[in-house]
Amino acid sequence: MIEVQHLTKRYGPFTAVDDVSFRVEAGEILGFLGPNGAGKTTTMRVLTGYMPATEGKAVVAGYDVFSQPLEAKRRTGYLPETPPLYPEMTVREYLLFVARIKAGILKKSERVERVASVMRKTHVDDMANRHCGKLSKGYRQRVGLAQALIHDPEVLILDEPTAGLDPKQIMETRDLIRSLAGNHTIVLSTHILPEVAQTCQRVVIINKGRVVAIDTPDNLTHQLKGAASLYLQVDAADGAADLLRSLPGVRGVTVADQNGTRTGYEVESEESRDIRRDVARAVVQQGWGLLELRPMRMSLEDIFLQLTTEEQPQEAQHG
Amino acid sequence: MANTIRNISAIAGRELRSYFGSPVAWVLMGFFAFAFGYFFNVYLDFFVRSATQSQFGAPPATNVNNDMIRPLLGNTSVLILFLLPMITMRTYSEEKRSGTIELLLTSPLTDLEITLGKFFGAVGVYLGLLAVTMLYVAVLYGLGHPEWKPLVAGYLGLLLLGSAFISLGLFVSSTTKNQMLAGGVTFLMLLLLWIINWFAESAGPTFGPILNYLSVTQHLEDFSKGVIDTKHLIFYMSVVVFGLFLTLKSVDTERWRG
Repeated sequence: MIEVQHLTKRYGPFTAVDDVSFRVEAGEILGFLGPNGAGKTTTMRVLTGYMPATEGKAVVAGYDVFSQPLEAKRRTGYLPETPPLYPEMTVREYLLFVARIKAGILKKSERVERVASVMRKTHVDDMANRHCGKLSKGYRQRVGLAQALIHDPEVLILDEPTAGLDPKQIMETRDLIRSLAGNHTIVLSTHILPEVAQTCQRVVIINKGRVVAIDTPDNLTHQLKGAASLYLQVDAADGAADLLRSLPGVRGVTVADQNGTRTGYEVESEESRDIRRDVARAVVQQGWGLLELRPMRMSLEDIFLQLTTEEQPQEAQHG
Repeated sequence: MANTIRNISAIAGRELRSYFGSPVAWVLMGFFAFAFGYFFNVYLDFFVRSATQSQFGAPPATNVNNDMIRPLLGNTSVLILFLLPMITMRTYSEEKRSGTIELLLTSPLTDLEITLGKFFGAVGVYLGLLAVTMLYVAVLYGLGHPEWKPLVAGYLGLLLLGSAFISLGLFVSSTTKNQMLAGGVTFLMLLLLWIINWFAESAGPTFGPILNYLSVTQHLEDFSKGVIDTKHLIFYMSVVVFGLFLTLKSVDTERWRG
């Protein structure tokens, strides 16, 4: 549904997006994850036809955004970082206007109907006659979403759809976005990590204009650790590490923390092998106290930090 | 084509609603009505006095067209020099500042449709201002019998002059996020075009005529006399097209710069 190939965007000497490529399948929700200034917004602006790329190609819903911009725009709904509302218009007037320029619906009655249904979907119907300039942040965001949905586009591009919302609104917005998947192909950007894990099927992690990883949230959390690891805390005398090392399937043992007689170990095992039972049995047979045993998984947060801070030392040298 | 017209009218309609939805258009209209009314009074008073008191045997001035309407329309052209920058200053600047420009540029509209929509929206407000002056002119028709042809020509001249101003104002507005700056620069630019013929005499035989030609007021003269000359029509139309062209280029450049 969306195909981006070797997209590069330069502003003078500054490269905002550097050779980015990815695909989004129909009905999928793709998360765009990266620190502020990583190039998320720029990539989205290129996809929506707001600005041209310096190099590369982007195809949205079967149309090249550079050579057939109008066709691509007709099939794309876009919520920019700041919802593009006209403060002096009421919510209804505003959506009717957007319906006119985006959906090109000729009959007024059809437009009215479409606006009513979108307002219901995004829960803004109680504010229909309020001026956009007088809306709260949460409503503004939702009217922005309503605006993006008004022409029932195949592709939805949402730039930080939950930024600035309170926790309840964030949940509602995420539910709404999830309910839209399937009928729409969605690309959303965020710098909030749990959001990606909760809403997206696939993640593109972008840093300094470059794609550093593309995968499902689950795979990302697995993959990066390489082998599987366990965290084990026992109440024991010395020698626990040697015993653990002697168990089948264990690759390595390191001491993670120590507090009196309590010692925490990080146990690395062969990838496909679940060694939890063996480890537990061995510890209990020795008469040691088994205080904690859990699989160690990197959170998305760790991965994100690991991926996006890798290049820092290099810069420090020049500083 | 039908699609293009629909899109242009959608944009123009929104512009109009936004002008009249905020106090801007009403305040301008009120000020315009007041200033025009003042001039109207002054000229009417002068006209009545010179018509009734024929001094030193001079023939009384009795031509409403020449002695009332012509100077009035001349004064109107000075008024719009001040007022039109206030109408055009927000067209693009405000959309850039608030981010609504992203909505327009990601909608299935061409840049030309957006620019023309904004142009006609501003022209619509201007027509509203001119309509106010027609109330006063209607009074003249109640009192006397002015000729209608010079009047129509005079208004056509004002419309063309205003359109040229609006088109240049659009361009200035498209270059900045700051609408106050856009208004100020537009005013200075129009003022320069207004007084450019002052320098014509000292500019020498080569540049003198060019400066004279560029002066927006020189071209208005014939219209207020009731003469519609294609030469002047073409001048104003060229300025309109030039301004719209610059606006399109500026929007496109901003696009690349982001």
